[in-house]
Amino acid sequence: MAEVSLIYLVDGATGEAVEAELRDAIKAAQLVDWQTKWQPALITVLQELDRRGVPVGQWPQSWHWDWRKKTAAVQGLLAFRGFCVVAAGVTQGLAQVDLTKGAREAGQVGKPLVYVDYLEVAPWNRPDLGQQLRFRGVGTALLSAVVALSEAEGFKGRIGLHSLPQADRFYRDRCGMTDLGPDAAYQGLRYFEMTPDQAQAFLKEEE
Amino acid sequence: MTKRTMTLNLTDAEMRALDELSVRKDLSKTAVLRQALRLYQTIDARVEKGEKLVFENDATKEKAELMLL
Repeated sequence: MAEVSLIYLVDGATGEAVEAELRDAIKAAQLVDWQTKWQPALITVLQELDRRGVPVGQWPQSWHWDWRKKTAAVQGLLAFRGFCVVAAGVTQGLAQVDLTKGAREAGQVGKPLVYVDYLEVAPWNRPDLGQQLRFRGVGTALLSAVVALSEAEGFKGRIGLHSLPQADRFYRDRCGMTDLGPDAAYQGLRYFEMTPDQAQAFLKEEE
Repeated sequence: MTKRTMTLNLTDAEMRALDELSVRKDLSKTAVLRQALRLYQTIDARVEKGEKLVFENDATKEKAELMLL
């Protein structure tokens, strides 16, 4: 049974706070939403980008992620956990994390952290697609949940992730994470970490 | 999440190792053991699927396979 917390998102049209649920699991209902709601919306976005002549390199870099495969691959393993945000009866964001990785930041080397394997918001909540957002704050809510998990596991709020280029600024500027630069062993994606101090500052900002 | 309690009997050497890991990893002893269980389960699942656990020396590129019993 997933634990459910009440959170608030921002309605993209009205700017008003909207109640939502943060759940500490990805269940079948989320995969159904991903398949039946996210995928058609994403195809519409990709068709529009194609019509506008936007190069494939500038398309949403997570467009090929298959959440069914990602969740199935770690089914039953204690080291992997999932989170989702649900609002208006629909899954608005998903995250999957790995608890077996160690920190790389100079002052934290070798200490355990929660590594964000995948974090994705629904296509209608993506700010990089130049559209009116349905909900704002989904990615931040998921990242807050990851930091909270890190604290609950005794990892002091340490988290790490490889960022897709379209999200670099979000993690660096919005979340205050340390940018440890491109990782040659991970498709050249930039690697970011949040230290315990940064985690405290991030959670305080989100209160 | 519901948590359950158990008594764990360790030798002096095992307790020392646990203490050292707890300090080095900046974790409570409980957190070290929970982390160990996660890692063991993950490695076991991958070995069961036919994968190998290999350590590589970054400098010499020397590889050594760890046998999991």
